[in-house]
Amino acid sequence: MFKTILHLAYKNAFLRRSRAILLIVMIGVSMAIMITLEGLYDGMTVHMIEKTKRSDSGDISLFAKKYRIEGDIRFHINDADKKVSKLKNLTGVKEALWRIESSGLVQTARKSRPAKLIGIDLQAEEQFGKFSDFLQEGSLDFGKNGIFIGNELAKKLGVHLHSKLIFSMQDSKHQLQSVAFRIKAIIHTTNVSLDPQGLYIAREKLNQLLSLEKNSATQIALMSKHTDDAGLQKRIQQEFPNLNVQSFTELYPQLKETEQIFKKFNQISFFIVMSVIFVGILGVMYVSILDRVREFGILLSIGYSYRYIRLQVLFEAVVLGLLGYILGALLGWAFLEYLKNYGLDFRLFSDGLSMFGLDSTLYATIKTAYFSSTFIAIIVASMLSVILPLRKIKILKPIEVIRSIG
Amino acid sequence: MKVLLLFIFLSTAIFASEAEDIIKKVDQNMRGKTLYLKIAMSIQTDYYERNMVLESYSEGSKKNFVKILSPSKDYGITFLSLHGQMWQYIPKIERIIKIPPSMMLQKWMGSDITNDDLVKQSSIVKDYTAKMLEKKGTLATILLTPKADAAVVWGKIITTVDTKTYTSQEEIYFDDDGKKVRSFVYKDVKKYGNYYLPTLWIIQPFDAPKHKTTLQIKEAKYDAPINPAYFSKSALKRFSN
Amino acid sequence: MFSLAIKNILFYKGRSLTTFLLTFVSLYLFIVYVAFMNGSHQSMLQNALNVYTGSFQIYQKEYRSKGGYDYLIRDTRKPLQILADTKGLKAFAPRLETFGIASSKTYSHPIMLTGIDFNREEKLSELKKALTQGEYNTHGACLYMGENLAQKLHLHLGDTLSFVGSAVDYSFVAELFEVCGLFKTGMYEFDSQSAFMNRDYFDTLFFSKNMATYIVAMAENLKHNDAVATKVEKKLPQELQLYRWQTLMKSMVQLMEIDSLFGYISMGLFFIVIFFVIMIYGFININARLREFGVLRSIGVSDNKISLLLLLEILLLTLFAFVFALPLGAYTAYYFQIHPIVIEGMSEMYKSYGVVSDKVPTLFDPLTVFYNSLFLFALNLLSIVYPIYYVRSFTPIEETQHV
Repeated sequence: MFKTILHLAYKNAFLRRSRAILLIVMIGVSMAIMITLEGLYDGMTVHMIEKTKRSDSGDISLFAKKYRIEGDIRFHINDADKKVSKLKNLTGVKEALWRIESSGLVQTARKSRPAKLIGIDLQAEEQFGKFSDFLQEGSLDFGKNGIFIGNELAKKLGVHLHSKLIFSMQDSKHQLQSVAFRIKAIIHTTNVSLDPQGLYIAREKLNQLLSLEKNSATQIALMSKHTDDAGLQKRIQQEFPNLNVQSFTELYPQLKETEQIFKKFNQISFFIVMSVIFVGILGVMYVSILDRVREFGILLSIGYSYRYIRLQVLFEAVVLGLLGYILGALLGWAFLEYLKNYGLDFRLFSDGLSMFGLDSTLYATIKTAYFSSTFIAIIVASMLSVILPLRKIKILKPIEVIRSIG
Repeated sequence: MKVLLLFIFLSTAIFASEAEDIIKKVDQNMRGKTLYLKIAMSIQTDYYERNMVLESYSEGSKKNFVKILSPSKDYGITFLSLHGQMWQYIPKIERIIKIPPSMMLQKWMGSDITNDDLVKQSSIVKDYTAKMLEKKGTLATILLTPKADAAVVWGKIITTVDTKTYTSQEEIYFDDDGKKVRSFVYKDVKKYGNYYLPTLWIIQPFDAPKHKTTLQIKEAKYDAPINPAYFSKSALKRFSN
Repeated sequence: MFSLAIKNILFYKGRSLTTFLLTFVSLYLFIVYVAFMNGSHQSMLQNALNVYTGSFQIYQKEYRSKGGYDYLIRDTRKPLQILADTKGLKAFAPRLETFGIASSKTYSHPIMLTGIDFNREEKLSELKKALTQGEYNTHGACLYMGENLAQKLHLHLGDTLSFVGSAVDYSFVAELFEVCGLFKTGMYEFDSQSAFMNRDYFDTLFFSKNMATYIVAMAENLKHNDAVATKVEKKLPQELQLYRWQTLMKSMVQLMEIDSLFGYISMGLFFIVIFFVIMIYGFININARLREFGVLRSIGVSDNKISLLLLLEILLLTLFAFVFALPLGAYTAYYFQIHPIVIEGMSEMYKSYGVVSDKVPTLFDPLTVFYNSLFLFALNLLSIVYPIYYVRSFTPIEETQHV
């Protein structure tokens, strides 16, 4: 019985082949474009946020009190290594590391610019945020006097790999320290606060240059195991009452806002597109049912129950919706897969994008939610679309139907 | 073969040490144990020419005190550089200002000398390795390459030294990519006791042809004891008048 | 023919209503959406330009690549006269920027000290509106400085600070100033580095009479900026160069272009869906009328006439929808241009681009509305192409037999 209904539904769906195909193509193409856009928008914010977290703040950052206001290395965290291992043992913390940072002046024979020198540990950075991903040119090896430089800063100074740089800063005893470095790597994090002014050396070396104790840090950053772990910040603050514990959202409020705006935008798009798709299915189903009013009349008159017809019509709509969905999912997945791997080249707008903290190539993300939510929406839309046409049949009087058309 | 290699090694070693020797002697001539200078400085830029007179007291390479004598508007402005740090006192506002690192590379009063030059003028012996490029009669052309860990911005310096007096005739500063940045020309060598000193220095940047800074040494006193009080922060105010 | 089309439209109510509604909604949405998009961009830009940048600036050639006192405008009188003689400018003013060290008792910071004409700036920039404490228009050794800079130097209103720098002839400048006013534009860099002082006293300190780093000008109407700038450009002495805001704010312009691009892509998505639906409805409608066409053709109505009829129907439907959507959309766009929506939460994000206002007005531009309508119109007509093609693939006999 069930099989027959399914079979009939399928057959009926394709009774008017052009119409059915048109509907399926509509659903498929619209859905494909919609989820591609969704993936692209998500990709933008995800990359922006993810790269900022990886290159700088993590999910939560700890600073010495006053450091964020005064920016003076006098306000640093002692025994950062111990604090980091303590943090790592805290439940909910995935990764943690410390960095030391000093502002100063970077110079070449021709130019000079204010910059910040960040002391990092390559291994820790790799674990924390896969630092090697940020390498644009050169190799990640400090060697004896190697330094890494943000790509925008390199451009402004007119320097390249192996160029010499002098960095001058005030150490913790207010003495001027000048050190010569050779550029070993050019770094592109897309983080707007790093690429135009960031320079990186080994953190032990920077501590030494600043005449600070070993393991002195200006920042401890950590990644949480679960995103949006609101309780974690509180727990850490309790653990370290003398430090300033800041979440990503507090450190980069605009990024969070951007994400929210994009999310809203995606939701609205989704709603509009699905509504229009619903109207499309509705039209097709309505006509398809009207076309077969006589057929249904006959079925009813020979004793088939209304439920049977309802089921058949419902199946028909779902089959159409499902086929559209499959087409859309396949197409969309193909687009997204392409955009995830090769990205969309926006080099023409690279200045604007970098102001926004984005790479000039935009990459999409793929979330299963794209496919599951559209699946539900399309099936629901298909099912809803038959309610109105079915009403027509429900009030049918079989005899009249056969007569009227005869 | 081995002998040849050894010979080459030895000869470069000898040349190197000879070049370094020359540079050391040049540096000695420019510095003495202590040195007092009275300098007339003229700064030419695209639109202006300014003249000023200043006094400089220095001891070794780490301590230097400078006072401006004229123009009268700037009289009494003093500078002190001690171990790589620099302060400035301005009588008009009666304040001592520490020059932050970000200002160290600013041109010193519009000249083509930077604060950095003033603070680190001596590191030529310590920060560079010297290599003889050419010797013609008494003239030696020497290549100065900064040591790997030396905090100097230059890629190299080529200097021509007269070994009769151990004074430099010309220095050309190159950037890290090997392009010329500026030149120092030294003239009118005079003898002060055991020391020889060029009394006319002309500094010209290569990318701004109208710019020229000229220093004329009016007076020089070598190895005369300098009151140690000059090399403390309180000197800035005290010796301003 | 016309009356037949009307009859058909009235007869096939379902299709007509759907097409009408979809066309109406999409056009209305399109007009309003684009108006909002352009409006927010323009207000962001206008705000950014209003804050400090102006709509164009005039420099001595090479200043922007080399910088420094050697590339100042040496005599501003001629360019200022040219600007005064040019119509369409709201305001203009020379500015002279100099860099030096500002120190309080214990703290020192490099700052940018700019000599400005406070009265002219008032008409030109939002510097006055950014005032948070003290006075804006000050005389003598008085500074109007960024709040964040004051914070960094641990200074309060009325405190004294020293400034050391060099005059334009490279001679020393050292001066004690009083903090007379504080401002906050929301641009952190700007607020933590800048201080302003009146030009008269500035010129006596820096020997900079009639000189400027650049002259900033603001067009009355940003739309006419290009024309005004071109006029000025033609008269400028050879050694001066004019930069329009598009160059001065390149990254911001690009950012907006991207945003527009994505906006149009998103709109494009809606149009594709709506296009399909209208097409499907048209198709279904025609399918139901195949018999009718067969009859028409068998009584001698040509294929072209039938196609024309179908075209006329969609044309009428579209026009009908337009008659409602266009004025309504235009009105909405116009209304929100005059009464901008205020989005409170937006301000943080806006501030990072140096924009003080959180008002989001629309931009009602008849030309844009016209183009957008034209585009939708074409799309609607296009939606009938396949159905017509479909009808033509049948012979009259096939059609009459069609059920």
